Formats: sequence, C-alpha cells, structure tokens
Amino acid sequence: MDKALYIAMTGAVQNMQAQAIRANNLANVNTTGFKADFEQARSMPVFGDFYPSRAYALTENPATNYNPGWLQETGNDFDVAIKGDGWIAVIGPDGTERYTRIGNLSIGPNGQLYTGNNLQVLGEGAPIVIPEFDKIEIGLDGTISIRPRGQGPQELAQIDRIKLVNPPLEQLEKDENGLFKLKEEGAGPVLPDANVRMVSGFLEGSNVSAVEEMIHMLSLARQYEVHVKMMSRADENAEAMARILQIG
Amino acid sequence: MHPSLWISKTGMHAQDKQLSVVANNLANVATVGFKRDRAEFEDLFYQIQRQPGAQSSQDNQIPSGLQIGTGVRVVSTQKVFSTTGFQTTEQPLDAAINGRGFFQILLPDGTIAYTRNGQFHLNSDGDVVNGNGLPLEPGITVPRDTINFTIGEDGTVTVQTPGNAQPQQLGQITLVDFVNPGGLQAVGSNLFLATGASGDPVEGTPGQDGLGFLKQYTLESSNVSVVEEMVNMITTQRAYEMNSKVIATADQMLQFVNQNV
Repeated sequence: MDKALYIAMTGAVQNMQAQAIRANNLANVNTTGFKADFEQARSMPVFGDFYPSRAYALTENPATNYNPGWLQETGNDFDVAIKGDGWIAVIGPDGTERYTRIGNLSIGPNGQLYTGNNLQVLGEGAPIVIPEFDKIEIGLDGTISIRPRGQGPQELAQIDRIKLVNPPLEQLEKDENGLFKLKEEGAGPVLPDANVRMVSGFLEGSNVSAVEEMIHMLSLARQYEVHVKMMSRADENAEAMARILQIG
Repeated sequence: MHPSLWISKTGMHAQDKQLSVVANNLANVATVGFKRDRAEFEDLFYQIQRQPGAQSSQDNQIPSGLQIGTGVRVVSTQKVFSTTGFQTTEQPLDAAINGRGFFQILLPDGTIAYTRNGQFHLNSDGDVVNGNGLPLEPGITVPRDTINFTIGEDGTVTVQTPGNAQPQQLGQITLVDFVNPGGLQAVGSNLFLATGASGDPVEGTPGQDGLGFLKQYTLESSNVSVVEEMVNMITTQRAYEMNSKVIATADQMLQFVNQNV
C-alpha cells in the first residue's frame, strides 16, 4: 500500500484539530478576558532503522495570543480591566494560584471577592474579604477602599489590595480551565508587581479577531480539501497499479 | 465527527442565551425599578490531546502540546444594581429609594420579597399594597377620610384627616439591604427573594446605616440603557453568524471527504 495515503490522512486529521482551536476562538469572541490560542503545524519525521523519507504533520498550539482585548466601558464599580500587561491572581478550582484577566468582580455572601467565573481574588497574602460598605473604590494599583456602612465620607478605609502580577509571558501557559499558570511544575507563586495598572468601570473584551479567525478557518478548510484530494489520488494510483498487474 | 461542529454549537447556544437576556432587558425598558441582567461568558475546559513534553519517539520530545478548548457557555447572569434615573409623578403613593435598599413586600405564603419598585396603591381596606395587591411590610393602613398623605425621607408616614389640626403618624416604612444584591433571585413582578448568595437582609430606617432616603412623588426608572442593549444585540448577532459559518465550513469539509474518498 502506498504510504502517501497515510501521510495525507494524518494531514487531514491534524487539520481538523487545528480547525477546532480556531472554532474555540470564534466561540469565545464575546467572552470577557478571553485570550485566543494559536495553532501551528509541524513536520514530524518518522524515525527508525530506515531511510527517513516521510514526515507526518502534527498540529500543536505553541502559544496563546497575549494581546490585550478592547476595553468596554460598563460604569460598574466592580468591573475592572488591566491596562497593558499584568494579571489578577485568583485561587484556581484546585486551590493553587492562577492568573486571569477576567475582571467582572462580585461579592459573595460573606464579603469574599470573586471573579466572574466564581474564583476568589487574592489580596496581600490571602483571599480578599470586604466588610459591609456603602461605597467601594478600586484604585489604579488594585487598592480597595470602602466607606463602611453608615459612616461618613471621612471614614474611608483601605481594606486590601488585589494581587496583581506580571510574570514574563514565556513562563505562562493556559491550563485546562482556561486560566493561566506557570509552565514550570511546582514553581512558587509569582510576587506582586507594583507597576500593573487597572481601571475600574471597564471590562476587557475577548482578544479574538473575528476576521483573522475566519481567514484561518477558510484556509484550513482548503488545506483539508488538498489532503483529501491527495488521499483520492493515492487511491487512483493504487487502482492503476492493480489494473497493470491484471493485464500482466 | 468534526470537533468544530460541537464547539461552534456551544458558541451559537451562548449567543442565543445572550440574545434572550438582551431581549428581556429591552422588554423591561419602561418597567419601574427594573434592574438589567448581564450575561457572563466563560470558556469551557480544555482537552489535552497531546501533553507538552511527552516523548514523540525514543529520543525526541514534543516541545509544545495540543490543547483544544471545547467552547463557551453563559456561566451566570448578573443583575446590575446601578441607578440611572428618577421620574417625578403626581401620585402621593409613589416612592423611590435614593441609594441602596429595598422595600419589603409580604407574599401570600408569609415570606418577604424585596423590590425597588415604589409604585404603591391602596386596596379596599386602605392598606398600602403594590401593583399586584401584595401588602407593604411593615403594613400601613390609611384612614378612609385622609386628605393628605406624606412619606418622609426617613420613611415616616403621616396623614392629615379632617377636623384634626395635628397630622397623625401612621407608621414607618423600613428598608432592607444585602451584602451582595447581585445574588438576589429575581422572581418576576419586580420582586426579589433572598438567597444564600445575597446574604441575610439587614433592616433599617431609610437614610441611616447606608440605606437610601425615600423620595415621595418619585419613581425609579428602569436602568436599561437602550443604546447599550442595541450594541449588545448587534455583536451577539454577528458572533452568532460567525459561529454558524464555522459549522457550515466544518460541514463542507465532511461533505468533501464523503464525495472524494
């Protein structure tokens, strides 16, 4: 059997997976703080005790697009967006520190501060708990000040500061929940960075570029067709060979 | 089958829900005391198809893996408790809360519901009730021959009756507040119920403990911003279209393989 058939087949299969990454980006075109994933194909030569004449295609997502999304004005005191680089530190579902740009915060029944996907926001050392208040203000550097319930404006109290970090992007990767974590297993928590700036009253939109994703979609679809064409051509070759053998 | 089909399906599904939220907000653009909803999107979990750092052969390592996201969902809808405006009316039984706080309404089963809608009426017994006939809590009964009905900023209700030079104090409207109003459960008819997420109601006198003052002859407008909802509607529609385009593309790919192999 001609090996070309198998090589074309892996091309088509890997192409479908690339398509799935693009589809996921497009599905999240409206998701707050979403970061689009890249897809790339790489040649994987077949190694062994023979002449390395074949290379299979392999799809991978080598990185995430860390460009900031557009800022959408909401006017809500609890909506924050990070200006430029940086991340909000939260406690992930497994209890470890994770980083996110999802800034639609809300308050739990006991005053805990949560992100829009229900993860507790870390402050200076521990998850943030906010006492009862009349007015809340989240400052540029993540400092939370409140006017306690029933108190006058002169009683402003500084509660805590949202832990904002800015580790080098090459150390980060997306985990299976769409949060960001350090690539290196067991690496300690990142130290807060005083230079990260956030604005309240805004939300960061998804950084998916719809047009770019559509173009990738179409080009992947055409590539897929080429792979399928190759498969049918390999089939034709096999048929021709069979005919020749019959005549002989 | 093609994974993109299912991923884009979640996209269309989420946009569908978003449109319902927008439609409900727009439908309530003139509802007194209505608080708009906001749908919050979340990306679904990622499937690790190939672990980064795994061996591709005995001597070779894969430098980066393959994680495929599985789509999107609407994780929650959040009530936005901002206040946008007040309208002045000529009804003495109209009251608005200028600040935090909720009126309490006694439900037929004896539990209390909470509302920002201060459009009150009188029933045949003279009780102050809401538009659905449910009494305000604590209850206030207005005498039949009342000439003048006043709600003070602190919730004190006084009436003037014929033959009495002194106004007569009828009762006191109290308000309640919640730590997390966003966690209240909307049950329709402008009413909310307390939940575990909202925390317990804290009752108090209007104007004290951070509760808002009461303003008579005033109603609180809906906080739906028409322009914002329209823009939401447009982006929702486009996102929906793009997700359906992905489905069409994936379908064409499958069709192509069916026809050619």
